[in-house]
Amino acid sequence: MERREVAAWVAVGLIVIGLPSAVLGYQHWLRLAAAEQRVIDIQAYAPERGGFAPDAIRVAVNEPVTLRFAAMDVTHGVALGPGLGVDLGHIDPGKVKEISLTFDRPGTYTYYCNTWCGPDHWRMRGTIQVIDPANPDLLPAAQPDPVIAALIAEGVDIDAQHDAGRKHGDAPALIIERPPSAQRGATLFGSVTIPPEVSDPAWRRSHPPAHVLELLRQTNRQAPQADLIDVVAYLWTTDTAPETLAAAESLYNKNCAACHGQTGGGDGPAAGTTAEKPVAFADAAYLFERRSDVLYAKIRRGGMGTDMPNFGTLFTPEETWALVEYLWTLPVSALPEPR
Amino acid sequence: MTRPPSPLSMRPRPIWVLFGLVTFAVLVAPLPGAAGAATREIALDATQFEFAPGRVHVNRGDRVVITLTASDVVHGFYLDGYGLERRVEPGITEQIAFTADKPGKFRFRCAVSCGPLHPFMIGELIVERNTPYWRAVGVVLVAAAGMLVHLWQSGKTRSSQEVINGTG
Repeated sequence: MERREVAAWVAVGLIVIGLPSAVLGYQHWLRLAAAEQRVIDIQAYAPERGGFAPDAIRVAVNEPVTLRFAAMDVTHGVALGPGLGVDLGHIDPGKVKEISLTFDRPGTYTYYCNTWCGPDHWRMRGTIQVIDPANPDLLPAAQPDPVIAALIAEGVDIDAQHDAGRKHGDAPALIIERPPSAQRGATLFGSVTIPPEVSDPAWRRSHPPAHVLELLRQTNRQAPQADLIDVVAYLWTTDTAPETLAAAESLYNKNCAACHGQTGGGDGPAAGTTAEKPVAFADAAYLFERRSDVLYAKIRRGGMGTDMPNFGTLFTPEETWALVEYLWTLPVSALPEPR
Repeated sequence: MTRPPSPLSMRPRPIWVLFGLVTFAVLVAPLPGAAGAATREIALDATQFEFAPGRVHVNRGDRVVITLTASDVVHGFYLDGYGLERRVEPGITEQIAFTADKPGKFRFRCAVSCGPLHPFMIGELIVERNTPYWRAVGVVLVAAAGMLVHLWQSGKTRSSQEVINGTG
């Protein structure tokens, strides 16, 4: 063999074998080995094609870790919860976003898609188990939610509430002639006799506005029903700080609007895909017969048989309460001035 | 070939009064279907892999307000020629407002990769000629007719050779 022939074989070998092994070797081995901390690559597929891969990861407490999310088919959004406050936002196909973080205590966290990406979007979740290296088999057990436990102790059937008494869309027991205006309610507030227990926010969480309307009707027999409804709307929207409401609105738009509709009409683009028609929060006659703590339980636990997913592993209790407060603003036409 | 000059030649003939009226009518008459610059509200829904409606007609000068929604996954909207781009998430309505000041046919396409047939997710915005254009066409036609009548009237009193030469 001539020397030139040998050189040609070497050149061909470098191109055919050397180049791919250099690229793939860097991607899968050298980059990870050279990284100062553990890097976990997570590919995001639409749930019909498998969801997150991998969909479960284990990290140690105080171990710095970088999560790299790559969208593989359509646009996804990735957020981490509960209580981590990480929202990476949109990831378009072919793009990669990463987050470096360190967990300081054992527990279970969730990474989830918060941009509607297909009929099974809400199944697109993955778990992060943060383990204590000294005791790797011990994970803190999930604590029962005190609000849900109290509801169960009280004998409230969380799932029966959805259709209690009447089907959604039937003639409502509560007649609401005009959209409730909390602003009007604020001006009327001083002229209406309020029973003492109603002033307690904790009491209001466990009673529907329709019940309070009944109480107000007994103590203010001369006041028109529409005025009392405005006062009730004011009572149910007055406790929330505007910035809390803005954060809850963002959370609602990302996680709830695809089914329940951006304005709470129950008419989001995915509303037709669910087993039961999504609830229209903008329907005051319907919502005013609900209790805040039941709404809270529904969000955290999901709705049995309705296709309402559970968000208890994604949101903190505070975020869930803020979402409930935001729901109360949906049927109300004018909010009171922030105090 | 001399004829006696028309006794009416020194004052406007009724035919010119008629032409004046027709010109005025062409300029101010309301045209059916094509009003002046209007606000056009268009609901545009994006799904894999089409826009509904796929073809949008507006008139030049219209204020176009597109209410953009997505029904399955995140889509985008990019309008050629106008360079407008917007991303739309399922559940969140987006509004795009612009003035259709460029006539012609423009393609709008999905601007966020949304699946295998994403490159074929294309629609058309057709900016049609507006009312002033059609009025101008009408005025030109009336002027052309008036020119013919003028030549014909002149030909009655002068020879065609004199009219063409501008003499006589």
